[in-house]
Amino acid sequence: MLLAEVEYARPSSVEEALRLLAAHDGARALAGGQTLTNVMKARAASPDVLVDLADLDELRRITRGADGTLDVGAMSTYSDLIASAEVAAARPILTVVAAQIADVQVRNRGTLGGNLCLSDPTNHFPPLMAAIGATMTVLGASGERAVAADEFFLGVYMTAVAPDELLTKVTIPSAAGTGDGFAAVTIGRDGTCIANAAATVSDGQARVALGCVAAVPVVVRAAAEEDAVVDTVRATALEPPDDVHASAAYRRHLAEVLAARAVRQALERRS
Amino acid sequence: MEPIAAKRITVTVNGDSHEREVEARRLLVHFLRDDLDLTGTHIGCDTGNCGACTVIYDGMAIKSCMMLAVQADGAAIETVEGLAANGELHPLQKAFGATHALQCGYCTPGMLMSAKHLLEHNPEPTDEEIRRALQGNICRCTGYVNIVEAVQAAAKGEVGT
Amino acid sequence: MSETTVAPEHPLTVEEQEVKPGFIGQNVPRKEDQRLVQGEGVFVDDVKRHGMAYVHFVRSPYAHAAITRIDVSKAAELEGVYGTLIGEEVAATSDPFFQIAPPPGGHVKDFALAVGRVRHVGEPVVAVAAVTRELARDAADLVEVDYEPLEPVLDPERAADPATPLLHDDVGSNVIWSGEFDYGDYDAALADADKVVRIKRLHFDRFSSTPLETSGAVVEYNRGTAQWTIHSNNQFPGFAQIMMAPALRVGIDKLRFVSQDIGGGFGNKICTHVQLVALCLLARKLKRPVNWTEWRTDQHTANSHGNERVFLDVEVPVKSDGTLLGFRARMIDDCGAYTRYEPLGCIIWAQVTPGVYRWRNIRVDFTQVCTNKSPCGPNRGYSRMQHLWFTERVIDIVAHELGIDPVEIRKRNYIRSDEMPYETPNGCVYDSGDYAACLDQALALIEYDGIDERRRDAEARGKLLGVGIGSTLDSGTNNFGQSTILNPELQFSGNNEVATVKLDIFGEIVVTIGTTPQGQSHETTAAQVVAEILGVTPDEVNVRAGHDSYWNSHAGFSGTYASQFAVTGLGAVKGATDMLAEEIKQIGAAVLGAESTDDVHLEGGFVKRNDNPEAALPFMACGAIVNANNAVLPMEARSITLNCRYVYVPPHQLPDKERKYGNLTLTYANQIHACVVEVDPETGVYEIVDYSAVDDCGIRINPQIVEGQVHGATAQSIGAATHETFPYDEDGNLLTPNFYDYHVPHALDMPPMKTGYVESPSPFTPLGAKGMGEGGGAGISAVCAALQNALAAAGRPIVYDSSNPYKRVWELLRNPDESRALVTVEDA
Repeated sequence: MLLAEVEYARPSSVEEALRLLAAHDGARALAGGQTLTNVMKARAASPDVLVDLADLDELRRITRGADGTLDVGAMSTYSDLIASAEVAAARPILTVVAAQIADVQVRNRGTLGGNLCLSDPTNHFPPLMAAIGATMTVLGASGERAVAADEFFLGVYMTAVAPDELLTKVTIPSAAGTGDGFAAVTIGRDGTCIANAAATVSDGQARVALGCVAAVPVVVRAAAEEDAVVDTVRATALEPPDDVHASAAYRRHLAEVLAARAVRQALERRS
Repeated sequence: MEPIAAKRITVTVNGDSHEREVEARRLLVHFLRDDLDLTGTHIGCDTGNCGACTVIYDGMAIKSCMMLAVQADGAAIETVEGLAANGELHPLQKAFGATHALQCGYCTPGMLMSAKHLLEHNPEPTDEEIRRALQGNICRCTGYVNIVEAVQAAAKGEVGT
Repeated sequence: MSETTVAPEHPLTVEEQEVKPGFIGQNVPRKEDQRLVQGEGVFVDDVKRHGMAYVHFVRSPYAHAAITRIDVSKAAELEGVYGTLIGEEVAATSDPFFQIAPPPGGHVKDFALAVGRVRHVGEPVVAVAAVTRELARDAADLVEVDYEPLEPVLDPERAADPATPLLHDDVGSNVIWSGEFDYGDYDAALADADKVVRIKRLHFDRFSSTPLETSGAVVEYNRGTAQWTIHSNNQFPGFAQIMMAPALRVGIDKLRFVSQDIGGGFGNKICTHVQLVALCLLARKLKRPVNWTEWRTDQHTANSHGNERVFLDVEVPVKSDGTLLGFRARMIDDCGAYTRYEPLGCIIWAQVTPGVYRWRNIRVDFTQVCTNKSPCGPNRGYSRMQHLWFTERVIDIVAHELGIDPVEIRKRNYIRSDEMPYETPNGCVYDSGDYAACLDQALALIEYDGIDERRRDAEARGKLLGVGIGSTLDSGTNNFGQSTILNPELQFSGNNEVATVKLDIFGEIVVTIGTTPQGQSHETTAAQVVAEILGVTPDEVNVRAGHDSYWNSHAGFSGTYASQFAVTGLGAVKGATDMLAEEIKQIGAAVLGAESTDDVHLEGGFVKRNDNPEAALPFMACGAIVNANNAVLPMEARSITLNCRYVYVPPHQLPDKERKYGNLTLTYANQIHACVVEVDPETGVYEIVDYSAVDDCGIRINPQIVEGQVHGATAQSIGAATHETFPYDEDGNLLTPNFYDYHVPHALDMPPMKTGYVESPSPFTPLGAKGMGEGGGAGISAVCAALQNALAAAGRPIVYDSSNPYKRVWELLRNPDESRALVTVEDA
């Protein structure tokens, strides 16, 4: 598995990175490379130019605001999230979920931004961000804009980030009065998700995001208790994929069970 | 700055500096194996799952099949060839031999680098922590039993000369 | 039922000198480790040759299609491309591979590249060679191939139907081989039964042991001598050369196989002779060495799979007390698109016809069909694993349905240790074994007595707990004569392996063996045997790493496969070392003035007079005298060479082709496993929470190495039982072509594993050891039994498939009646 010919640039500023992305039609941002290199090895996609974001330190900062919000730079790796005291204090579900992804080698390189911008239906962070109600900051030539998680994921491998833009950071709202949960069935320990669900509860209400059942996370709202959540999920029209790991019916069933478990966890973890 | 199709890079591997011209598309694992003749790092899959290509890059265990050589320009890399020093095997290498933690030996270099990375960050791991650290390294021969034992023995300094 | 006695024409027990205890049986550290832990092994992709071309295969995207046009011109024109090879050239310059099946199955035409038609996704169609790996891959995109898709055949149960399209027109059907096996008196058993248990269908799924190192080769052609040197990780060069030489129209000696380290094989590197022929043709055509490294995706889609087998209309007459009287079944084996080692799978299962049980009345209708899937190869446990799993499901389902305790029913039906050597209904002889003792150990290791309490504890946590047993045999040292049962015209029988042991001019002991180890520690165990016989230490024995045809230390069946090294390889090593020991003593006796070799012994690297140990000749002196100073020897001693080549030949006989009867294997190691699972009834997700494996492979040359094999085989069994499966979509695309979707056990996926052992020496082998590397797949049966036991509390579904990923467990939970409908119990 070998890459097609490609050109490479490693800008030292965000502005330079945006300029490169805009100047070359077939340019793609290279973050951790834990997905993109494999895609290119399989020649499922062969961008003409790779814009390596590795030197953009400002995209790797994690800061906690006085109001309890958390800004996580898009280039933060899963290992960065796990090691961060700010993350652990502000929104520990991020630490818990990051630690479940694949293995330590992947976590040392894979980034939050990469995981979100890939928008693979089996990824962990899209449903988590959708449940938490995170806001993504997208930067382009025309400036910076905030995109709510509900509007960020547009389809399989498609997000609100245009080809000449960058996701710069993710803003996690304050955890005050909330609890978060995440439940998944995976192929082997810490493997790819067959089905997953993220939940945030606050004020007796649950916001549940179902992954793996559609092109983008499916968000449902219900009273924050298991039976109500199961009923709501059951009533939601879902057409999950049928593949080698699960039938559509099995995924639909797992969505209900995992939604309930995520809510149970969220209730237990309420702050 | 304009994108380039090839670049002259300088990579330090096991303390030695190497300068080479490489295509931008060259994977780091092929750079190590084919350009630098360091064939101890192996390739076992196409999708970054098997870990046979694991090296330590700027102090972090990574899979070198998912990095381009040009990304490693200026970096310091450790491979299995750098573990032994002055003719003496690294405690992990001795431990692997003592507990029969290798059969065909193909996954071994990657296992050793992941284990080294673990012990540098966590000198007294539990068995579960060892397994987590090795979760990205597939072995088809050993069932991992003796590998976990080897890492434990090395961590506890139980390996003789 | 008649009594059986073992009364063959020729004695089976081999009388050998007693080998005194010493290195044999010790955990001697491995010689292989020094280089492997330093990354200094030489695996095939580590081999580099100046001017080497890198080869990429253009492969079929269709499961079944006619090739209507191939145009390589654009690829060939690309700068840096050295050349190409297409099927038309292959058909013109080579002959199709020898076929093992009798007509019409033997009419399959199999070439090194697709000729006119492709028959599975991934089949190589064109080879492109270029100056770099990347360029070869780029050039492949410029190769133009036009196909006319044909309907693929994907269901083995439908493959033989008249309306189904044919894969091989010359065969005239998709049936490669079929035959009936009838032993004992099945009809009488049926009449004698108290109950008849019928199982409509059981299915052993397709998977493979997917060695971490993929296949590969560096092939050089010497134009002056017309000699090919094939550096490859092929694990059965004896078979490869027999297949390749006629195909390439050359003498066998023109093919030199070289390997040093191989990254796992498990049978998946046996049928790579096909790709090697393409590489040989290319190396000759391009006049430069060629390198091919298989991609993981290609290994999964187009190398070799383990056999898929369906068991239909299973009928089991039993007595009320659980005694199994026999079985009848229709078996359909799916061997994929081409027959390369097949149809041997149609007879190899018969090595273990009754499994570990004493039933004597067995009737099998066996058919092998080809389908548009990856060709099958002799994957670890080859053909016996599938059959043993079948016998295990049968006894487990019978116990389940009749309400008989699973331990009690096994002990009632196990062949007993006092019946060994035991002749099976089709004439195989199980050499030794104490299955009941192994079972007791396995159950003790998982604290079986406390299972009820663990079940209650699991229940309190909302989980269903189950315990299961898996028993298996690892038959080893094939009698290749069994192939004549399939095809009476074949001229194959027996088995062999070769070792050469010499004492060099400076007293160095050097050993070369014909095997191709892929982690089985041949260098170490061979050194142990040599050291013990010669009275030195293993460190003083130099065993050459790997395999090289030029060592002339190999024979027709040389290689590493089929659980036989401890018997064949070490048998050859022992034979050669015994010869050398005698020669060293002869030199010693002559020089030390002793009357005969009975008056001297070997100790610590010296030949010493028994009556005066001070009178001693060091090995170095022996080597020097024979090699460089032989005029000092009396005339009668001058024929001594101190270079002893020995061919171990097991005491096999030709089988009875008519009755399909005879001893097909020399040794029978066994493993008994026990497994405890916890199932989440809400999701079908399950975890193996406890596991034990007890192995009996006779005398263990190196216990730690044996245990390592048990660990590894168990891990592979667990993988096969859980997530490892090779399913296809309706177009014939493999759905798990890489490690992303094909999930093998990683470190965190392994259960706590306890191992035990029993040593029942084999009376038939030089060292009392038995081959044991394959392991027999006991884990698959244990997991199946444990799941069925766990789900007994949830509607009593029947576990009918070897592969039980979460989605299947959920189906069993959701709709137990569907699987229950597969089984009926009739009062006879």
